[in-house]
Amino acid sequence: MTPKLPDFDTMTPADFERHLPEFFASGDGRVSTDPRFQTFLKNNPLCAALVRDLETIAETAKSLLEPAYEPSDTVWSEIEKKLKKKKN
Amino acid sequence: MDAQGLHMTQNTTPPGVFKRNPPIVGEAEAIEAAKNGDAHAFSKLYALHKRRVYTLCLRMLGNVSEAEDMTQEAFLHLFRKIGSFRGESAFSTWLHRLTVNLVLMHLRKKGLNLVSLEETINPSEEDAPKRDFGSRDLQLTGSVDRVALERAVASLPPGYRMVFVLHDVEGFEHNEIATMLDCSTGNSKSQLHKARLKLRELLRQPDQSAQPAAGIKEVAV
Repeated sequence: MTPKLPDFDTMTPADFERHLPEFFASGDGRVSTDPRFQTFLKNNPLCAALVRDLETIAETAKSLLEPAYEPSDTVWSEIEKKLKKKKN
Repeated sequence: MDAQGLHMTQNTTPPGVFKRNPPIVGEAEAIEAAKNGDAHAFSKLYALHKRRVYTLCLRMLGNVSEAEDMTQEAFLHLFRKIGSFRGESAFSTWLHRLTVNLVLMHLRKKGLNLVSLEETINPSEEDAPKRDFGSRDLQLTGSVDRVALERAVASLPPGYRMVFVLHDVEGFEHNEIATMLDCSTGNSKSQLHKARLKLRELLRQPDQSAQPAAGIKEVAV
């Protein structure tokens, strides 16, 4: 069940922290540009800094989709061996 | 359970996946030829996708030997199932779903089925991110080095790492992750948030940018 959301302008930093996973999951995943939180973030710079950091991590994570590692040559040899065995 | 299962259908492609997985030159022809049993075409598909499949396995499993075994399994499974690929989503998206499901099946076989995955993906208190919400000096500088992030991800507790890789790296939605991991969407959101908090903590520790794990062959990208 989705938890009841607090009033965005009057919520405390603790409220914000508690609901942050939900805030990130709603909309386009960017809390820093979400109009609903602009007043709160302006009044709570530490929360704004946390949001910026987490968004930076999420944004950088997209670059990890590009492969970083290479399997050893034995992986293909094993695949070939098994496929040949299957064929025969 | 079939690794392709219900969650391998091609009409549930997350938004943006085609954009993140653009078609590769020569891939479509290789797929069609491989469907007809052309071994050379299948080896081409392996060459095109081996690094991404292996990297995904390695990130999910955190172990070179298991990652290589699962890469092998994924391509053998692909060989058997390629006839069912209809091209309604990017081939790499389809292949990654197949791989994720095989890795999860493997993990369940290893013992994760003894308790629900929802419980096992929650790491111990020790591994959980610290509540350092109010500390001004914990801010990152506005950018994160890709290599440092890669290493920090590798050191995450398995449950956090799994959800982070599936959501933030692979681009799966919370409802898809919940289905794959057999947990609630709320749990997926919560695990992702904790993973990011933990990464923030790790990225602030200077020794996080240490050497890559032994036995891992890193390639230039």
